[in-house]
Order: sequence, then structure tokens, then C-alpha cells
Amino acid sequence: MTRAHPAAPEDDPPATLSPTPLALARMFVGVALSGIGGGLPAHTRRALTTRGWMTDEDFAETFTLAQLTPGPNAVNLAAMVGARLGGRAGAAASTVGVLTPGLLAMLAVSAVTLGLPGGLPPTLQSALHGAACAALAVLLTAALPVVRVGWGVRGGPVVTVLAFLALGVWRLDLLPVLLVLVGAGLLLHRPRGGGQP
Amino acid sequence: MTGDPVNLLEMLLAFARLGLISFGGTNVAEIERALVLQHGWIDARTLANGFALGQLMPGPNMLAVTHYGYAAAGLPGALAATLGFYGPTALLSAVAILVWQRHSAHPWVGAFRNALLPFGGGVILAGALVLARTSVTSWPAALLAGVAFLLLWRTRVNSALVVLGAAAVGAWLGL
Repeated sequence: MTRAHPAAPEDDPPATLSPTPLALARMFVGVALSGIGGGLPAHTRRALTTRGWMTDEDFAETFTLAQLTPGPNAVNLAAMVGARLGGRAGAAASTVGVLTPGLLAMLAVSAVTLGLPGGLPPTLQSALHGAACAALAVLLTAALPVVRVGWGVRGGPVVTVLAFLALGVWRLDLLPVLLVLVGAGLLLHRPRGGGQP
Repeated sequence: MTGDPVNLLEMLLAFARLGLISFGGTNVAEIERALVLQHGWIDARTLANGFALGQLMPGPNMLAVTHYGYAAAGLPGALAATLGFYGPTALLSAVAILVWQRHSAHPWVGAFRNALLPFGGGVILAGALVLARTSVTSWPAALLAGVAFLLLWRTRVNSALVVLGAAAVGAWLGL
């Protein structure tokens, strides 16, 4: 965890390293392009620290918060980094930047695969079926660290298993399940004024 | 996807809801419940295909929503789905980071984190089960998923390569 200190003296507020919205957009287009197959947060971190726009500490805090807000994490992370570094315009530019390459690519692929008369040729459907099996594996590897962290929280295993059963097996509506389980979690972890540790 | 023309505003709102309740990143279970079971905009095959394609796209892998919107209502549908899914959560995130910088020491913030994390784990596992029902339909498919999982878990190989490799194997086996 040692951080290499830049040559510049640390205590004068740097000649504000606030990138322009255009620079943020360009950085996140690059992050998206190098993030084929995932790992977007890692690419974001590397792009930010090599430019000297954010310290590792700031990045870790932003990343944790992006995990906790609802929605797609990688895009939330981009919006948060943009907001921190460039305000409203920075947030908008970063979000658009991280989405654009994939959006264009997905539109093209969708137009081709969904536009075929009589559906997909069998070979292509078989290929997609194979890819879907691997995509399931990608989802499972992404699930492992999330499940592990949640499992370590007091009452966590019960909440995780109940959420899995309610949403995956019984197919209940998410909002009531969320209210009950997160509500129970809040009760269990409510801050206590004094007394018991 | 014939039948009634899809109301774009309804679609925008449905995807906004899906984005806002995707804790932990991916909520395939709820996406299937809403898009396939409730609205009938896409079928289970399109859901699995789109999810797989999303793994191959540059950027966030839930670009599958763009595919789902396209399948339901063409280009306008794709744009409505993308805007609805990503717009509100990005806005919320930008606001949240600014509020957070002021209140991170508050004890309820920690309680909320501890309540949310195990729930997020269950949500992702539920999504995996839903995808598995469509994708793992045979022993070769199960074997392929297992090998892909081991490769991703135990090696540092790029996941897009694993997905492409599985696509090649799928085409070769005629899955």
C-alpha cells in the first residue's frame, strides 16, 4: 500500500487538477474500449491515477460508494468520478463517454442478429448458446466476491439465502423483498447510542 | 415481437425501474420477470442471447438492455431502454457522491451498508439461476459453463476471450 509520492510538493493545493468534461469523456471512452470482457473499475482506476486526477484513497472511497448505489456499477462509478472531478458537466460527460462505444456496437449487432428473416442461422444460435454458458460463468465469478462480503456481515447468510430463494426460485417482486430484507438488516445493524458493543 | 406497438414511455419507465433496483450491479432475475413474464416484450431466448452479447461489448456488460429494447421496438426502443436504464442511476450516483462527501461518518450509513451487502449477494445468485435455466439445457452446456467458470476463477484470462471461445465450442458442438 505504499504510494509513490509525486515530485510536486504535496501541501499546496495542486494547480487544480480538474479535467474538462471533454477530457473526462475521452478518458471514459478509452476505459470502455479497454474494458471488453469486464474489469471496468480496474481500467478506470489505472486511467485516473496515471493522469494524476485522483489518488488511490479517493478512488477506493468512490468505488465502494458506486457498489452501494443502485444500478450498473461501472456506469455509476463513471458518473461519480465525473461529478467529483468536473461537477454536473463532468458527470454527464463521463456517463456518455463510458456508454457510447458499447451502445454503438450493441446497436449494430442487434440490428444484424435480430433483423435476420426467419431468425438466426442454426450455427449462430449454437454459438450464442455457447457464449451464454460462458456469460453465466462470468456472472458467477462476479457474484463470488459480492456473496463473500455479504456472508461476513452479521445475519448475512440468512439474508443472502432468503433473497436468492425469494427472487430466483419463488420469483417474487423485488421491491417488497427489498423492503423486508433490507429493513430487517437495518434493524439488526441499527446504530446503538451507548451500552452494548 | 408483433402485436401491439410498444409504448416507448412505458418502456422508458420500466427500464428506469429496473436500473434503480439493480443493487449489486446485475439483476437478471427481475429483468426477466419484468420483460419476459410481465410485459412479454422479449422471450427467454432473447434474454440469454442479449446477456451473452453484452459480455462481448466494450464497456458495461449490462448493455444487454440495449439489445432488449431493440428486440422489443427497434432503434427507438433501444434508445429508450438505454436511457431509462442508465440515466436515472447515473444521476442518483452523481448526487450521492456529493452528499456522501459531507455525511460519510453518520452511523446509519454503515448500518445501511451492512443491510444491503448480503441482499446484493442473493440478488446476483438469483440472476445466475434464471440465466442457467435458459442456458444450461444439456450436459455439454453444463460442462461448458463449468469449464468457463474454472478458467475465469482460476486464471487471469480475459473474460471476453472465454466467451468467444465458448461461442466457438457452441457452434462446433451444435449446442
